Amino acid sequence: MTKSPKKIRLVQKTSKTFLWISVALMLGSSIVLYFYLKTLLQGEVEEELRSTEARIESSLHDQSGVYQLPPVVEIEKVPLLQSEILKDTVIYDPSQDEMEEFRELSTYAQIDGENYRITVRSLVVESENILVAVIISYLIITLLVFIFLYYFNRNSNQKLWSPFFNNLEQMKTFSVMSESPLHLMDSEILEFSELKTEILALTDKVRSDYKNLKHYTEDVSHEMQTPLAIIQAKIENLINSENLDEQQFSQFTSIQKDIHRLSQLTKRLTLLTKIDNNQFGNIASLDIVQVMEDTVLGFSEISNSPLVIDTAAPITVKMDPFLAQVLCTNLVSNAIKYSSGKNAILVTSGPMEISISNPGHQALRRPEQLYDRFYREVEGAKATGLGLALVKKICDLYKIGIEYHFEKERHIFTLNFQR
Amino acid sequence: MKILIAEDELELQDSIATYLERDGNVCERASNYDEALYKIDLYEYDLMVLDINLITGSGLDILKQLKKQRSETPTIIISANNSLDDKLEGLDLGADDYLTKPFHLAELNSRIKAVLRRGKFGGTEMIEFNEISIDTNSRTAYIEGTEMSLTRKEYDLLLFFITNKGRVLSKEIIAEHLWGDHSDLADNFDFIYVHINNLRKKLTNAGAKYIRTAYGSGYKFIED
Repeated sequence: MTKSPKKIRLVQKTSKTFLWISVALMLGSSIVLYFYLKTLLQGEVEEELRSTEARIESSLHDQSGVYQLPPVVEIEKVPLLQSEILKDTVIYDPSQDEMEEFRELSTYAQIDGENYRITVRSLVVESENILVAVIISYLIITLLVFIFLYYFNRNSNQKLWSPFFNNLEQMKTFSVMSESPLHLMDSEILEFSELKTEILALTDKVRSDYKNLKHYTEDVSHEMQTPLAIIQAKIENLINSENLDEQQFSQFTSIQKDIHRLSQLTKRLTLLTKIDNNQFGNIASLDIVQVMEDTVLGFSEISNSPLVIDTAAPITVKMDPFLAQVLCTNLVSNAIKYSSGKNAILVTSGPMEISISNPGHQALRRPEQLYDRFYREVEGAKATGLGLALVKKICDLYKIGIEYHFEKERHIFTLNFQR
Repeated sequence: MKILIAEDELELQDSIATYLERDGNVCERASNYDEALYKIDLYEYDLMVLDINLITGSGLDILKQLKKQRSETPTIIISANNSLDDKLEGLDLGADDYLTKPFHLAELNSRIKAVLRRGKFGGTEMIEFNEISIDTNSRTAYIEGTEMSLTRKEYDLLLFFITNKGRVLSKEIIAEHLWGDHSDLADNFDFIYVHINNLRKKLTNAGAKYIRTAYGSGYKFIED
């Protein structure tokens, strides 16, 4: 199985991307700007140096006096002419009283038969300062722009996607059982609008299918009772007619048994559907321990294994009295049905808890399927396969916890009323 | 007794009538809403068996009409609907009993007799059968004036047998009468056999032998 990637919110994701791109752009453009400005400034300085040098040269032509202004201008007479040198150098600046970095241009010129070396210098610090100032202001401006863009983008994204988020929330709360359709937000964005239409079509279909299924189950159950009643009535008239032999009689009674089973099955199916339809609104405060005790008493004479009750304080729950009875009845009859041997079936209660256990040989092979409709652990058992499904359904309806475990050769069901 | 059977399923209507007529009852039949209305309007019945879902209308409306006419005809509703609300509505409207389909005819018969006992004929709560008499009010049975000590289930069994005397009752019918929906549990373990045996012993000790085995696994309450 591939590991699913970490989940991140859409707006967060786009903001994050935007942030990274902004940082990269800012850094990149600053570097480019830095080098571009630097060459520009250097060219500027060089031009300045050359123009100063040219001016000095021309002034040397006019007057023979040697003009000096160290460290900015130095003129020396030299024996030989050499090619010009342009370089950076660090020399002592008496005006600042420290070593400073200068840009230095040394040229050689022959003026009135004399060889001169003219050296002009310019402070680098100045241009560096300009460079730094420009870069910093650039950074500040772009940063401000990006921050503004970031929030602007985030807000507009949120606005843009809001129909999507809203509809998503609606879908999260969607229940197939709900009577009314979803109230989805429309959007001017075509894709979102299409999405909305599709979702509505889909959920409406799911709802109507579910409704049909519910009615179908109920209708089928109802429709089945009448033919069953006819069969049963006819059989009863038949077994009261003359000239029946024992074998025919046992066949007829076996049919009666099957009719009973079929009728139980449809009754329970209807009950399940009714719980699904929320048709049990008659909530009353009742003592579930008492209901359980009454149920156990009612069953005591048709149980093969003795039923032992050991209950403590009452547990008051708010639920439909009929469903409370169904819950207890199904748990007890389940215990009786699957009890092996002559050991007792135990019903105990504690604070907010009722347990019912029956002896068994081994733990269930598939306990997770225990509450599924028509799941039978033992093949051929004469059960409708709906008893525990009903129990689970009722527990879910009233948020009662139910647990099964196998311990010391006993199947134990525990109801927890704490939740 | 003159009984009206208002049931749109002809086969069921017929079976019910056949079963009830064997006891010497006269059964009138109504196969739809209008026919039923017409008949209760014209004639007086000792009892009505009424299906709630008549094809052309609701049986509950017939019941309302019956009560409007101030008729005292007791009514037993038979319905395919098992819901408690329907049951309560029917009983609230004045029905005397409510049976869910499918039901055993023996069960219907015993309910009919119970309703009739409580009904207009002076409310005779005593049932007499040769030397056996049953006081349905105090739920006690006597043989030649001596009270029998019966358990609740044994009493129910005896009453069921006597109200369906001469009929073959299978274990399934008896189990459903005694334990209703949970009769399948009882059936697995032969509890009926135990109860019937005990009742039989108590009757035989007092000199009455009416419970006969029929076809090996069924029972019949029969006069010697």
